[in-house]
Amino acid sequence: MPSTASKVLIIEDDRKMSDALVSGIRSAGYEVLAASTAEEGFFLVHSGQPDLLLLDLTLPHRNGLDVLRQIRKEGIDIRVLILTSHNTVDDRVEGLRSGADDYLGKPFSFPELLARMDALLRRFLPPTPPASLKVGDLSLDPKNRMAYRAGEPLDLTPREFDLLLYLAENGGRTVSREMLAKDVWRETSRFTPIDNVIDVQVARLRRKIDDPFNVKLLQTVRGLGFSLREP
Amino acid sequence: MTLKPTNLRTRLTLWYVGVLALLLIVYATVVLAFQYGVLTHQLYHDEVQDVVTVEGLLYFGELGELQLQQNYYSRPQSHLLVDRLMEVRDLSGKVLYRSSTLHDMTLGGPLREGEGDAGFDERLVRLSDGSHAFVVSHIHTMQGRTVVIRLGYDLGPLRDRMIQFFLMLLIAIPLALALAAVAGQSIAKRALQPLEQMTSRAERITSSNLGDRLDIANERDELGNMARVFNLLLERLEQAFRQLQRFTADASHELRTPLAAIRTISEVALAKSTNAEVYREALSNVLEESGRLNQTVDSLLSLARAESTPPGDAQPGFILRELIGEVIALLEVLGEERSVRIVEEHPELAVVEVHADRSLVRVALMNVLHNALKLSPTESTVTIAFERSSTSCLQIAIQDQGPGIAHGEHSKVFDRFYTSCDRATAGTSGVGLGLAIAKLVIERAGGRIRFDEDFQQGAKCLIDLPVSVGFD
Repeated sequence: MPSTASKVLIIEDDRKMSDALVSGIRSAGYEVLAASTAEEGFFLVHSGQPDLLLLDLTLPHRNGLDVLRQIRKEGIDIRVLILTSHNTVDDRVEGLRSGADDYLGKPFSFPELLARMDALLRRFLPPTPPASLKVGDLSLDPKNRMAYRAGEPLDLTPREFDLLLYLAENGGRTVSREMLAKDVWRETSRFTPIDNVIDVQVARLRRKIDDPFNVKLLQTVRGLGFSLREP
Repeated sequence: MTLKPTNLRTRLTLWYVGVLALLLIVYATVVLAFQYGVLTHQLYHDEVQDVVTVEGLLYFGELGELQLQQNYYSRPQSHLLVDRLMEVRDLSGKVLYRSSTLHDMTLGGPLREGEGDAGFDERLVRLSDGSHAFVVSHIHTMQGRTVVIRLGYDLGPLRDRMIQFFLMLLIAIPLALALAAVAGQSIAKRALQPLEQMTSRAERITSSNLGDRLDIANERDELGNMARVFNLLLERLEQAFRQLQRFTADASHELRTPLAAIRTISEVALAKSTNAEVYREALSNVLEESGRLNQTVDSLLSLARAESTPPGDAQPGFILRELIGEVIALLEVLGEERSVRIVEEHPELAVVEVHADRSLVRVALMNVLHNALKLSPTESTVTIAFERSSTSCLQIAIQDQGPGIAHGEHSKVFDRFYTSCDRATAGTSGVGLGLAIAKLVIERAGGRIRFDEDFQQGAKCLIDLPVSVGFD
């Protein structure tokens, strides 16, 4: 749910990656600009006035971090999300210190990219947690940490409730296992055990919220992750 | 300009020659002094005997002049004494007799106070012709008259002999030194020969023939010991190198498998149809495979990270109990699903401080516990028992009731990319790096991890961790 056609600039030198991003982000409802070099990108930052910049760090001729520093030096108002395969803690720290708003390591899951872009653009608005969330006949009360389906309260463990809330907050969009590991389990790295845990936890949640009902809300999207929506 | 030979052989020889020269000079000086002393003493002794002999031969003639009995010269042993110098004076200082060898020169001038009173006085006298004589004086009473007999020998011949000896040494010492230098050079060469051989051998060792070793001529000498130590170093290097090679090969294999799957799935889907459902199915498969690929890369990075972490004691500490609690809380759900209970024994013993990279130890424990849960049959128990094996060491035993580990595979399960050939576990195995990472991390922290070979009712993983005392 992007705010009225936010403009996104992608600076990425790998053409296939760039094409895929452009097409994916455009179909998510954004206006998209793309550049393959730092100079071109810099020109578009000035002429196109995008709201959000997706910046690859390894660019020909000029480092992505230089571009970022230049943008911050000139005081241009733009959100910056770094996309890079340099993914150590030190790299992250340096990127954020240079003025990035967020940092996503390659390979990332596309739903996660969209979620983060949304989050960055939402920062313009004051955060107002919704009083209740509804998906079909499932409703959530985040304040009292209660969930109801067809009016009946569901008996959920705290972790199950967090998982359900996170899925509901993403409004029918697919969330990847990476996102769940990071945002629900608060694990910094992803490894085999956590994937298993996520799968089992989702299966248990599904048993509680879906099994007794005809309409299944919790969907598994093969290869991508999970989503909570009416079929 | 300083001349400093860089060659060890030359340096050794120079030192050797230098020390030898010093020794020879000290030796020659001592010998010279000793020789001189001995000869002088001999002279004194001869002179005393001569005086005694002469005393018996002297007599006053009819005119009152002092005479020497002529038959003295006919004695064979006296012929050696022809260069003897003799002067006899009476107490008033008047010369009564002077030997012809003196050529009218005085032997020591006027009488001295108390000369010859106390037995045989010895002194060095310079004659008027410039030569030196070693003289003894003695008071003698004969025929009622008291005389002083002075008897001496010219020191010339003695000194000549000493100078000859000295000259001989002067020639002999450099000659000896030259010989020693040649010998030293060749000895040094021979002693250093094994070193040269080792150097040329070592120069030829490269990554392609890391299996080569240095020859050890004599294991007990210093060079042999060096070669032995060097060979051990090569051994370790070779092992590390082989491990790295094998690992790279394994890693590329493990990466190639999902890549091949991605390629085949895509190719088949493209060739087969234009049906969107088929494409959807293929793409999902591709995504799953790429997920696998990503996991392998992540695991490899964890391994690399674990390998480059500093040893445990350089790290800040953390409380083990809290970490174990987190791991159990996270993985518990896997057990609950199949009614596998996690039971802790003596958890209070885990309230200790461990110095290591916390996030890596967490991954290690998680991998081990995950393994145990994965292999546990329905309605069984996984036991985590803590035991203080010594004051500075805590043993964690993670035990399941699963199929256990086949005989002979207890240490192999820690190998990288090891997957059991047992069909019961093959389906559930992951990337095959979990236990390898665990082993690396635990050993980095100064601990030990192994599976109990005597335990038959499942698998029992024993982790020994060094811990700090205190924290009750």
